[in-house]
Amino acid sequence: MTDLHPITLTVNGREYTVAVEPRRLLVDVLRDDFGLTGTHIGCEHGVCGTCTVLLDGASIRSCITLAVQADGAEIRTVEGLADGAALHPLQEEFWDKQGLQCGYCTPGMLLRACELLEQTPDPTAEQVREGIASNLCRCTGYQYIVEAVLAAAPRMRERAAAETPTETTGAQA
Amino acid sequence: MVAGAGTGHDGATPESASVRGAAVKPPSFRYSSPATVPDAVALLVEHAEDDARVLAGGQSLVPLMNFRLAHPGFLVDLRRVGGLDSIRMDGDVLVIGAMVRQSAAERSAEVRVAAPLLAEALGHVAHPPIRNSGTVVGSIAHADPAAELPTVALAMDAEMTAVGPQGERRIPAADFFQGPFTTALESDEILTEVRLPQFAGGHAFVEFARTHGNFAVVGVAALLAVTDGRITRAAIAASGVAPTPLRLSAAEQALDGVVPDGAAFRAAVDAGTAGLQPVGDLQGSAATRIDIARAVLRDAIERAAERAQDRR
Amino acid sequence: MTAVERPAPPPVRTHKADRTWVGKSIRKVEDPKFLRGRGGYIADLVRPGTLHAAVLRSPMPHARIVSIDTSAAEAAPGVHLVVTGARAAELTGPLPDFGPDPTKHTWRCLAAEKVRYVGEGVAVVVADSRYLAEDALELIDVEYEALPPVTDPEAALRPGAAVVHEALGSNLAYERQFDFGNVERDFAEADVVVRDRLRWHRSGGQPLETVGAIADFDPATERLTVHTNSLSFTSYMFMAAGALGIPMNKLDVHQVPAGGSFGSKLFVTKPFVIAGMCSRVLGRPVVYLEDRVDNISNCDHHGSDRVYDVELAVMRDGTMRSLKIDTVDDYGAYIQFGVGHHGNALAQVTGPYTINSVRYRVRAALTNKNQQGAYRGFGSEVNNWMLEQMVDKAAGELGMDPVEIRRKNFIPPESFPYFIPSGNVYDSGNYAAVLDKTLELADYDHWRAEQARAREEGRYIGIGVISAQERSVFSATEFWFWFDEPNAPVTSSPESVTLGVDATGTITATLYSCAFWGNSPETMVAQLVAEEFDVEPHSVSIIYHGTAGGLPATGPGGSRTTVMLAGAVEGASIKIKAKARKAAAHLMEVDPDDLEWVEGGYQVRGVPGQRKGLDEIAAMLHMFKHSFPEEVESGLEESKVFDHPYTTMPNADRSDLGVFYPFMGNACHVPVVEVDIQTGRVSFLAYAAVHDCGTLVNPRSLSGHILGGTAQGIGTALYEEFVYDDEGQLITSSFLDYTIPTAAEMPEMTIGHVETPSPYTPHGIKGGGEGGRMMAPAAINAAVNDALAPLGVRVTELPMTPDRLRAAIRAAGGASSAAR
Repeated sequence: MTDLHPITLTVNGREYTVAVEPRRLLVDVLRDDFGLTGTHIGCEHGVCGTCTVLLDGASIRSCITLAVQADGAEIRTVEGLADGAALHPLQEEFWDKQGLQCGYCTPGMLLRACELLEQTPDPTAEQVREGIASNLCRCTGYQYIVEAVLAAAPRMRERAAAETPTETTGAQA
Repeated sequence: MVAGAGTGHDGATPESASVRGAAVKPPSFRYSSPATVPDAVALLVEHAEDDARVLAGGQSLVPLMNFRLAHPGFLVDLRRVGGLDSIRMDGDVLVIGAMVRQSAAERSAEVRVAAPLLAEALGHVAHPPIRNSGTVVGSIAHADPAAELPTVALAMDAEMTAVGPQGERRIPAADFFQGPFTTALESDEILTEVRLPQFAGGHAFVEFARTHGNFAVVGVAALLAVTDGRITRAAIAASGVAPTPLRLSAAEQALDGVVPDGAAFRAAVDAGTAGLQPVGDLQGSAATRIDIARAVLRDAIERAAERAQDRR
Repeated sequence: MTAVERPAPPPVRTHKADRTWVGKSIRKVEDPKFLRGRGGYIADLVRPGTLHAAVLRSPMPHARIVSIDTSAAEAAPGVHLVVTGARAAELTGPLPDFGPDPTKHTWRCLAAEKVRYVGEGVAVVVADSRYLAEDALELIDVEYEALPPVTDPEAALRPGAAVVHEALGSNLAYERQFDFGNVERDFAEADVVVRDRLRWHRSGGQPLETVGAIADFDPATERLTVHTNSLSFTSYMFMAAGALGIPMNKLDVHQVPAGGSFGSKLFVTKPFVIAGMCSRVLGRPVVYLEDRVDNISNCDHHGSDRVYDVELAVMRDGTMRSLKIDTVDDYGAYIQFGVGHHGNALAQVTGPYTINSVRYRVRAALTNKNQQGAYRGFGSEVNNWMLEQMVDKAAGELGMDPVEIRRKNFIPPESFPYFIPSGNVYDSGNYAAVLDKTLELADYDHWRAEQARAREEGRYIGIGVISAQERSVFSATEFWFWFDEPNAPVTSSPESVTLGVDATGTITATLYSCAFWGNSPETMVAQLVAEEFDVEPHSVSIIYHGTAGGLPATGPGGSRTTVMLAGAVEGASIKIKAKARKAAAHLMEVDPDDLEWVEGGYQVRGVPGQRKGLDEIAAMLHMFKHSFPEEVESGLEESKVFDHPYTTMPNADRSDLGVFYPFMGNACHVPVVEVDIQTGRVSFLAYAAVHDCGTLVNPRSLSGHILGGTAQGIGTALYEEFVYDDEGQLITSSFLDYTIPTAAEMPEMTIGHVETPSPYTPHGIKGGGEGGRMMAPAAINAAVNDALAPLGVRVTELPMTPDRLRAAIRAAGGASSAAR
């Protein structure tokens, strides 16, 4: 048995300290140690994007990230999108446009879309399609996801304009 | 009789993901995240018998470990080592540190100016989430024959700076890539940076992949300099047509001194693809790879030539 | 067509003209929990203390297991149990099998003496965590004696091929030829016989979530409780319990939302049995979750894998007369569903056309591959593709326009219900209307002009036009009408719903076995209940009931869910309203016949002031027993076990298979593609699709399924294949090699709907979940062939990878890349 390494992660604004084997994948620590089961496992070799979370504002694949590599980082999972009862604009639009069927790819897709809209606040449909090509979906054929992201874009721009700088998560420089 | 319980095979390709154990949790290893390069080297030396490896972004290594195709006993994580995340100019040479993430390099103004070929190629490397974690130097060190960045390094006559217990050395790209997933780097050395000499001319990176973000079946990195209407310099490398990225020197020679027109491009494509003997696999038979190489090479040369003429 | 004695169809129903909720694209009621990451999928339900199983899989395609040493694994840290295949055969019985003669190819949760495909499980380890279980797998030592692998279905049937199952003596698991109608006469009278050989390679659902089961055997009560995302509980899970030797009344199976299925979670018994077996030995809860590599190599749901030799007899004027179909299907190493996939084909074997007669010969070949299971279309999509290829080929040989030849042969709208030669019925349809609408949406004439322009520029644009059927709501007969003396001629495939109106008037619908796998049973039921009771769909509470104490049900599959739930909801609603009417009549002291249902309650005809709302009636029934006569029971809850509304039996000589898939939808897909002949890449320029699935409950939801199904069909047509090499090695063992299309590969699709109601179902609903994938491969192949026609290239093999297209173009001596 290898040594356990203590790591501290801030997930959705809350600090967690845990001692982990270095081989533990970030997705397993989020799910099993912190009980945040919203992040899903699809392939565990970094291809499908189902496990996507935001690490210091940038999307990453938590199935091919060791938890120890995330020590000190700020992580956002799907559980950190809604504000209590109020859904995040992307969640709202996914619901309205039927951008999900089984829901399994949805958390990863939502977080990737967050990043996409932060980097490209006024995307074309083509840009959205290319942007979410990182995340596989087997149910929807992607079309209603694209519609949902396009519908959320103006609402996200409004939000960004209203927010003070300290409140934005900020993309990686 | 065949003994079935096997050992993991190092250097195996992810494409041959073992169905044997059907594992996707990594095996145990010990781990350290040192603060300096000498400390990191010392750890590689100390744990050499445990098959110590360097961890940068992990986007290539961790999947291999998940498949249990790699069983390093010790991982040396570079994440806390100072000074490895810089992008700087050293004269005419763009120097990218070991921990520079691919997405940072993609966004960097310096990279766009000093190595636009790299900037363009980066857009083809997997998907943005992979590029947020993966590093430029890590991809070069991993030397996947289908990867984009080794091809760029080869076309640009890059130099890799390796630091080991004996000190620092520079390895030219031409000597660096020795086989699939095999480089000139010793197991106790760390690649601390890649050095990319600027090229005055036009660039193009073109690849054919089955789906967006997938590995290239064939990729071509092309650099062309045009002076007074004639090609004065050409550097062209391709992936997917040999066990390592390949400089297409025959294509380069065919272009040397000629007017960049359709006939010249055709001749370069013929020269560049003659004698190629790619290994066929699931993504493309040998014959199809040649077909695709012809199309990709043509596109790359044409585009680089256009850009070379725009630059003046 | 021979005259056949047929039972009369059910009475034709009249449908409600003004609908409020059925037909509305409301937001789905399931979505919020998934959006918030609180989906409760199987992996989310694993509690601390549950032990984790991992399976050791064979690296050999065909081998005897000489020895297996698990001692090091048993001693490894955190390991509680190691079970080999031999021991598993003592602890469990064979797995449920609807195939021909299961004893000749016995199927178990782990292989005991022999492995028959790469990825077949040979041992299971149970440990404190999945990490530790996988560590222990590496310590198991297996000695194999290699046997020659069989990897091609036709080669498997030739003498001298290695035999996958010695007890069977050959690799021919099943063979039968049906003649429906007078095939020989129709061929003799035909002007032209069009022939072809076609090859469809296996792909699969590949949902992003794999299959898993959490089994908890309580030694004190000897009850086994299982949570699993595999479906089809009540009717068949008792068979899986049988494999475990657990009486069905000591078994409680709970369905869990599934992250996609597309058929591949239909009745998956291995995880259930493996977890159950281990839990029983240990007396502790055990979870077995497939990982991706487990699933790709061993899901037991690979898709159809067929070689076709087909002849189509036509008249010079384009009339199609008869079909001779000879197919060899590569079933892999086992054949759990028999040749039910061909039953699916026979449900719509003649497509939307008035073809007179059919010969259908099927041979099921066993090879060293994972077995087939269900994949969206379940074998009918392959028939669609084959038939549409033949129609296009006929059009080519006759010099006819591909659209006109189809129109000419369509079953006319006034001919329904229409019995096809195999005996199945098409309940209703309007194929010309669907075709016309699609051509309009597709801007067909514009693209034909574009195509001509592009050809002059040396570009290859192609347009595919296909019209094909999408059957829905299967009958159990399609699995056994293959046998003259079937072992288990099952005829039940019910669905049940309980509706309860509580004391406050709110409504709860209980579903049995009908789990969620990306279809939307809750939304369907909510809209249907809302329609019945004039309430808001989101106010209806839906709960899922496990098997213990549950009513009979079958679960999703064959696009049956919405129709069957509609029947059950309707049936339960009728009972609720009957009781409510009587109660209201009693309370208002009027005759029940004087009351009518208006806006959520009963009122006296013509006297709106005299009414009782359902909530009032319910409150009275729940709490005020003495307000009612003796025979009235308290409460307001009724159930309906809804059986398949239209099934008839096959006749004795099987010249007529009876009605087994009556609710027949139809669709037309028109993709426009461009083929880069240098590289073999196929890109989309446009894609229009129109489906007729009868009355739609939630149109956007159905469109979503069409889009998703088409995306999978694009995968099957261009990208996806389970590839086994000549040595039997599975080359596509992960997502690195099994190529799934991303959003960037998808065309922007234009979807249209036509609604020709079914005369036999509530609201005229037909199933539609599979349709997209049932059309797309045929349509895309047609488009590629249309593009490459000037080069004399016709592609007859799927998927149409760059390799296959370049090989075909080279072979035809087509324009080589030297021109560039």
